[in-house]
Amino acid sequence: MNFICNFPFFSILLSLFSGTICSVLPAKAAKVVNRAVIIAVGLMSAVLLLYLLSTGEPFIYWMGHFPAPWGNEIRAGVLEAGMALFFCMIMYLSMAGGAHKLPGEVVESKHNLYYILVNLLLSSLLALVYTNDMFTAYVFVEINTISACGLIMIRQVGRTIEAAVRYMIMSLLGSGLLLFGLCIMYDLTGHLLMSNIKESVGLIMANGEYQIPLIVSVALMCIGLCIKSALFPFHAWLPDAYGYSTVSSAAILSSLVSKGYIFLLIKIIYRVIGFDIFNNTRIIDVLFVFGLMGMIFGSLSAIKEKDIRRMIAFSSVAQIGYIYMGFGMGTQAGMVASVFHILSHAATKSLLFVAAIGLTDVSGGSRKFIDLTGAAYRNKWAGVAFTAGSLSMVGVPLFSGFISKLLFAQAAVQVEGKMLASLIVLGISTVLNAIYFMKTVLRIYATTDEAAYTGITFRDMKAYAVTLVFFILLNVILGVSSQPVVNMIEQGLAMFA
Amino acid sequence: MIILVILIPFITGILVPAIPFRKRWQKEVFLETTVVLNSILVWYLLLHHSDSTFLLAHFTGNLNISFRVDGMSMVFAGLVSALWPFATLYAFEYMTKEKHENVFFLFYTLTYGVTLGIALAANLLTMYFFYELLTLVTVPLVMHTLTREAVLASRKYLYYSLGGAAFAFLGLIMVIVYGSTTDFIFGGVLDPAKTAGKTNVLLLIYVMAFMGFGVKAAVCPFNSWLPQAGVAPTPVTALLHAVAVVKSGAFAIIRLTYYSFGTDFLKGTWAQDVVMAVVMFTIVYGCSRAVKETHLKRRLAYSTISNLSYILFGAVIMTPLGLVGALTHLVFHAVMKICSFFCAGAVMHQTDRHYIHELNGLGYKMPRVFGIFTISALALMGVPGLAGFISKWNLACAAVESGSPLAWGGIACLLVSALLTAIYMLTIVVRAFFPGKDFDYSTVLDIRDPNWKMLLPLFVFTIFIILFGVYSQPIVDFFMSVAAGAV
Amino acid sequence: MFPILLSIFFPIAAGVFLLIRYRTPLSGEKRNTDRKALLLLTGCFLVITAAFAVAALLTGTGKDGFILFNLTKTLPVYFRIDSVGTLFSLLAVIVLPFAGFFSFEYMKHEERESRYYGFYLLAFGVLNGLCFAGNLITFYLFFELLTLSSMPLVMHSGSKEAVMAGLKYLFYSLCGAYAALFGIYFLYRNCDSLTFTAGGALRASAVAEHGGFLLVTAFVMLLGFGVKAGMFPMHAWLPTAHPVAPAPASAVLSSVIVKAGVLATIRVLGMFGTNFLRGTWVQTAWIILTLITVFMGSLLAYREPVLKKRLAYSTVSQLSYILFGLAVMNETSRTGALCHVLAHGFVKAALFLCAGAIIYKTGKTRVGEMRGIGKEMPLTLWCWTIASLGLIGIPPTGGFVSKWYLALGSLKSGLPVFDVLGPVILLLSALLTAGYLLPLTIYGFFPGADYDYGSLQKKEPCKLMIVPILILTILSVLIGLFPDIIASTIDMAITGR
Repeated sequence: MNFICNFPFFSILLSLFSGTICSVLPAKAAKVVNRAVIIAVGLMSAVLLLYLLSTGEPFIYWMGHFPAPWGNEIRAGVLEAGMALFFCMIMYLSMAGGAHKLPGEVVESKHNLYYILVNLLLSSLLALVYTNDMFTAYVFVEINTISACGLIMIRQVGRTIEAAVRYMIMSLLGSGLLLFGLCIMYDLTGHLLMSNIKESVGLIMANGEYQIPLIVSVALMCIGLCIKSALFPFHAWLPDAYGYSTVSSAAILSSLVSKGYIFLLIKIIYRVIGFDIFNNTRIIDVLFVFGLMGMIFGSLSAIKEKDIRRMIAFSSVAQIGYIYMGFGMGTQAGMVASVFHILSHAATKSLLFVAAIGLTDVSGGSRKFIDLTGAAYRNKWAGVAFTAGSLSMVGVPLFSGFISKLLFAQAAVQVEGKMLASLIVLGISTVLNAIYFMKTVLRIYATTDEAAYTGITFRDMKAYAVTLVFFILLNVILGVSSQPVVNMIEQGLAMFA
Repeated sequence: MIILVILIPFITGILVPAIPFRKRWQKEVFLETTVVLNSILVWYLLLHHSDSTFLLAHFTGNLNISFRVDGMSMVFAGLVSALWPFATLYAFEYMTKEKHENVFFLFYTLTYGVTLGIALAANLLTMYFFYELLTLVTVPLVMHTLTREAVLASRKYLYYSLGGAAFAFLGLIMVIVYGSTTDFIFGGVLDPAKTAGKTNVLLLIYVMAFMGFGVKAAVCPFNSWLPQAGVAPTPVTALLHAVAVVKSGAFAIIRLTYYSFGTDFLKGTWAQDVVMAVVMFTIVYGCSRAVKETHLKRRLAYSTISNLSYILFGAVIMTPLGLVGALTHLVFHAVMKICSFFCAGAVMHQTDRHYIHELNGLGYKMPRVFGIFTISALALMGVPGLAGFISKWNLACAAVESGSPLAWGGIACLLVSALLTAIYMLTIVVRAFFPGKDFDYSTVLDIRDPNWKMLLPLFVFTIFIILFGVYSQPIVDFFMSVAAGAV
Repeated sequence: MFPILLSIFFPIAAGVFLLIRYRTPLSGEKRNTDRKALLLLTGCFLVITAAFAVAALLTGTGKDGFILFNLTKTLPVYFRIDSVGTLFSLLAVIVLPFAGFFSFEYMKHEERESRYYGFYLLAFGVLNGLCFAGNLITFYLFFELLTLSSMPLVMHSGSKEAVMAGLKYLFYSLCGAYAALFGIYFLYRNCDSLTFTAGGALRASAVAEHGGFLLVTAFVMLLGFGVKAGMFPMHAWLPTAHPVAPAPASAVLSSVIVKAGVLATIRVLGMFGTNFLRGTWVQTAWIILTLITVFMGSLLAYREPVLKKRLAYSTVSQLSYILFGLAVMNETSRTGALCHVLAHGFVKAALFLCAGAIIYKTGKTRVGEMRGIGKEMPLTLWCWTIASLGLIGIPPTGGFVSKWYLALGSLKSGLPVFDVLGPVILLLSALLTAGYLLPLTIYGFFPGADYDYGSLQKKEPCKLMIVPILILTILSVLIGLFPDIIASTIDMAITGR
């Protein structure tokens, strides 16, 4: 076994331990450790990705060399490695983009706690990505929830506590349902390891016995993960949680945490249940319908919103709807589109959150649209970045959003019954996106009384500006040379099967 | 070479704010020179075009960004590049009264490149790409004055245009999936083997895409952005909202209809009837709104709405003759409308009067401007001997030829609209020249015709209006060969 | 070829020259004082134009026709002099210069004379073009130009009333022209060419295929061109527009320019061919409309107290005599119609000029105020009386001849109902004509016992005014005395040589 095969395990462990270490380090050192860990994990994932691309074969890593069912397994394919790399990139950029705000948002004494939580979150995300074991997955789902809760709550403003409690309740409900589903599955199959479950599920479907419990279990797991990833109509917790937490938290939560759950769901669909079996259930139709509704209602709520952060948060609801619509199509192409949209949305949404904070900072900290008038002149970098993000969201060519739209639409055309519905909703949702994002863009470029606020220059925010540039670059790269990425996703999905 | 003509305006535009010009005339000379050079380059390119496709970049899959010169691009690119230098010249004078000149010229020149990109695009994706880009680069122009009104207008413009593009996008998808290629090939690219049994869905999507592109061409009910966008400086309203932007919409629809879906597939279907009915309604609707409007530029904008639908009417007849009519009106209307807009702009620039009731008696103080305005008004009405008659003649003949009763009704719409055109245009002329017996001429004492930078474009356009009116043979012949798919 | 072109383009150029050279200065600026030069120029231009037109008629160079240039390949601007054109051209050539001379005196006190003369000349040129047009497109071109060039004449006084009347005139005329254009589009498709050919140019196959639709087309065209000829239901512009123009302009409008509508109708009949229309519903409907107009026009004129308005209503009625003659569609009635073109042309010009002279000298506009006018302006009123007799149709005037032919043609036509009803209505209308024209004579010459002869002043107008009136009056009688010459010309017109 190649040394590189240890990397997934290393990265999970590294982030876990660094979390522990952070608790005894001073805030500054914790920050350094945190950054270093993210970079290290990112590098490892990159190497792993290259390795996997060269071998073209996924591998299974036995923890402690115990074969299943005794040992715990980690599985790495192109998609997993790619995701891990991507998550690290986004996380690093989000942390960098929000770093200058941290002192103002979180009390000094809690800074290292903050980094602990971030590290934990990273490790749980990595685990969700790599694990080949349902129970491990569940454990890290919980870790993920707790750290996410902590990240929301760490900014101790009244609203965040309420948001965190809400998030906690909804999330626990989700994990509970996931656990239920898991139990039933275990009952039916007697396995916890994904590959083993899949074999048994195949047998069950072939036998025709216990089909209903199986479907129920799948449904429970799906609903659980849907709640956790804020699919409409389970999105009520989201705007507050994203809208009031710290910048980095919001960026990470919206672009990574929910995506981690979605990735887990993809894994369950492919690795546990089997793509074809899953598609033969009615569940995909339900996902499809809720995806479409999410696309519309999320955007509608965003239009009504007068607070820029909450608006972006609501936009996430719509974007999650896109992803579930892709699932609901029940085709390979739909799945590819969804996975691509996970990437594209993660890149764009964190960019928007980070850019938004730049805009609100120069508007006296107010997040109301009315105060943001002309903000783009005061903070030019944030203005450009926000515009770029918005254009990507609306699906203007050159940006990643266009590609995901293109992929979704192309996928939709291949599905007889769902084609018209998805195309039309896609169109409408683009219009709605255009309405609220472009409204904001015009608002920040509209004229204003310059004297009221002080603008900031490049020198005041080098790190911030560079972060934004990287975000935009990432977005444009996804938008312009999407073909390798799409190929990778296809390859990765093929490895899942 | 092709990419050069698109890039030069981009570079020039970006250089305008970047170079610290010491005097204004230096900037003017710089801009005008590059624009004229670029136009010459475009014409050279059009006249010596080869059939080869220039591939700029691969996108995903078989999608790519590439450029090619064919008949349609020759018409549109030729038109745009012929008008741009004059409009730029006019803008120099007009913008002396406005602020943020550099930003204005930056985006104004960018738009030139983007419009050429639309014209020269070799496939649907490239066109869509530049189409979206066009929206984005023109928004700052609409928003130029930064007044509340301007912001609202540009907001509406953005919503409408991006929203429209979202539905046009569906058409793109259909062509990608059901077509053999996305390249523009006269007669359409839909693959009969793939489309079998899906006709109705495809037609539905066609209608949606038509309406989507139609947003830019101000098809009813998506027209209200255009009059509002009239808050932009006049060179923008004249060139972009009478020619470049709105005609891009019409151009895109022609591409979609004739070069992607194909008339064989669409002709005689319910989709054709639907779009034709919409277009006919718009023709009459635009004119009636123009009659009601009291703001000069907005009135002209409504007139544009109606006239754009003339073009679309020709296009949706879906015969070669119909395309000839559409192309004729595409070109001729551009000249006529830009001429009348420039007159309106000249009036606004010289007098700061924006409403029609303020124009009383100006005809005697600005005889050149109002004389030219009268000619453009007559041309728009379709008086024989001027450009408008020829294009309407071609449209109507195509409609008669098509033999469809709905198209015959379309002729009636054209004529009703011509009458309404007479009402809304000539009342302005009459006001200017017949202010009433008790008119106090001292109120217009200090007003005079603008200087040569404004008048030169006006005279040139007038000459073209008359020239096209009396001698249009070569150009119509050329349209014929385009419509036959020969170029 | 050249006389024709000169007779068209010379006055147009001359008119434009006058408009530019004598641009009226604004009040407060130095006033252009060389009125004499203006009048001299205008007079010369009028005479030269008339000379060119006569030369064109006499030399007969235009008989074969020539193409000036092609608008497009299939749309030539084509001139040819045929006998119908000759007839109308004759009317124009006689009436326009005389009315022009009349206006030299009449317009003395008006502002912006140059504009008046400029457009007067323009209209002259356009009328020549209309008469010499050899195909429908050329005809249509001049038809529209005629409306546009005569509109400023209507609006000349610049009062609100005049401007509104001018616009009304414009919009009605354009409405008619566009209705006709609708037909032209279809004729273009269903004829071999749009060149005027005797006996119809429709393709036989087209008649067989869309005969019904072509009938509709014909009706629309007749209605459309009928607008210019003041045919019910689109007659309303005429009584508004004609009276507000300066009297010589009204004379030209009423006697010549409205005849453009008649000429147009003849051309349309020529294109479709009477054989195609005879006996169809189009003929019936058309006859009904003309008869309604004849009767209604007279009745309204009878009730109208304002002199010029009364004459305008009379024009409405008399023009429909002509149209009726055309609508009956046999040779006798057609002779009557063409004869009436001349008769009415001269008479109505004379009447309007008389009215102009009275208004110019006395300022009175209502018939009731004009008691004893015959004592003040005997020559004028004698002319009025003689011309009136012509319009009523009392031998030996021209009106008698034309009405005789009209009635005869109608009786010969064999149409159901209308063969008798037509003449009856014509007679009734003639009675009404007497009723509205002769009171001026009666009250003018016999003001009654209570008339104050003491304040009587001789107000006979100057030669420049009275000579044109006299000449026109004499002409109106002459065509009645020597009907043979006219009839032979008209016969030529009918046989189409």
